[in-house]
Amino acid sequence: MPEKIEKELIGIVSRLFAEGRIHHFLGYGKGTVKFKTTPLIAGNREDLQELWLEDFCAPNLTLYLKDIKGQVGLLVKGCDSRSLVSLIKEGQVRREDLYIVGLPCPGQIDPGKVAGAVGCEREELEEITRRGPEMVVRVNGQEKTLPKSLALMDKCLNCPYPKPLIFDSLLPGEYVAPVPRATPTEDELRRRPVPEKWAFWAEQFRRCLRCYACRNVCPACFCPRCIVEENMPQWVSPLATMGDNFVFHLLRLMHVAGTCTSCGECQRVCPMGIPLMKLNEKMTDDLRELFGYVAGVDLDKPFPFRTYRQEDPDDFIK
Amino acid sequence: MEVKPEVEKKSKGWEPRILAFLCRWCSYAGADLTGSSRISYPPNVRILRVPCSGRVNPIFILKTLRAGMDGVLVSGCHPGDCHYTAGNYTARRKFAVLSRLLEYVGIDPRRVQFSWVSASEGEKFAKVVSEVVAEVKALGPNELFRLNTSDHTAEGAESREP
Repeated sequence: MPEKIEKELIGIVSRLFAEGRIHHFLGYGKGTVKFKTTPLIAGNREDLQELWLEDFCAPNLTLYLKDIKGQVGLLVKGCDSRSLVSLIKEGQVRREDLYIVGLPCPGQIDPGKVAGAVGCEREELEEITRRGPEMVVRVNGQEKTLPKSLALMDKCLNCPYPKPLIFDSLLPGEYVAPVPRATPTEDELRRRPVPEKWAFWAEQFRRCLRCYACRNVCPACFCPRCIVEENMPQWVSPLATMGDNFVFHLLRLMHVAGTCTSCGECQRVCPMGIPLMKLNEKMTDDLRELFGYVAGVDLDKPFPFRTYRQEDPDDFIK
Repeated sequence: MEVKPEVEKKSKGWEPRILAFLCRWCSYAGADLTGSSRISYPPNVRILRVPCSGRVNPIFILKTLRAGMDGVLVSGCHPGDCHYTAGNYTARRKFAVLSRLLEYVGIDPRRVQFSWVSASEGEKFAKVVSEVVAEVKALGPNELFRLNTSDHTAEGAESREP
């Protein structure tokens, strides 16, 4: 990322620390694994040297807000700002405790997708760099170019909110969708007959390890104790059987309905590659169709399950 | 809430088992009226009384399906008649989303049904139950979770259930 942005960011954060406006700053640090960054919680000006603003700023930092006390400054991409709106509405964080710095996002690279596109293992990728409208990938010493759409995360291809919806300052840069918005790709599974849907999802649920990475990384899953860990009564068995995984995943969806902003973190961290975004997107589409609700864009609109209208659809009720 | 269905295979004598969550103020009283009016309805439903249809957490429905019941019926007061003013309105929103999600993952919507039955609608209760039973019967037993076990658990782990 250009030095100009880094200088600007360090300037802003240093000023905030000096004025005592924030106690911590939440940003990205260089990861220990290739193509990964790690969240960085800076407690003073010196820690800022570890800040990393190159590519791979995919993690949604709003997840860590619940673990940090006091006034916090943080970096948000456009998509992450929607999680912030949800969390503020849920009363999980207070707007006045935050100093929000908007980060221009050029679209986040999905190394797994890149590896698939160039036909190699993810571990064989040596370098991924941006060059104008294309991506240059180095594999085994050879360079290959890819169009952006084959290298960026799927959610970035249809980025509806490239610019943060709430912020205190914006870093210089372009706040535009990385790929010009095409018509959203339709999930063709939705048109298939019910038994085929079950065949697809039974296979996905069967593979789930119940590692709970999807839940742990989700900013919308903020309960201190999760219902799937309750044992008196035990609602869901912890065994990773297909049936219990079905209950877990549907329950997770119902619990984040209205708060989930399709940030895509659950799918990104899933070690089994389960297409959780298909479920999330189905749920968010339903909320929009049924109740006209879009999560994380409006601080004043009440959550869909906490309100009702007399004319809500009830054609499915006998 | 323990549901213990016996292992039944799809055979000639198979009868569906349906768990019905009935609201204490309307549908439960409606079912009572069905009985006291001597109207008969299929004996395939097991009735569970809840304070309000709004009390029915989606996990109840998921767990019922997981436990192998063939169908679920949730019934409450008509819109506007809720004893708690708005329990059925909020329930309606949850159920609308849940039933669409269940359909998307491949649970036939006929297995999980919803109805409004008031305390004076004994006949309607009998009709709703007959319809649900007939539809679930046509679908066959709920074997969704019997056919697949996980790769990740020891063999036979699935047999601990039900």
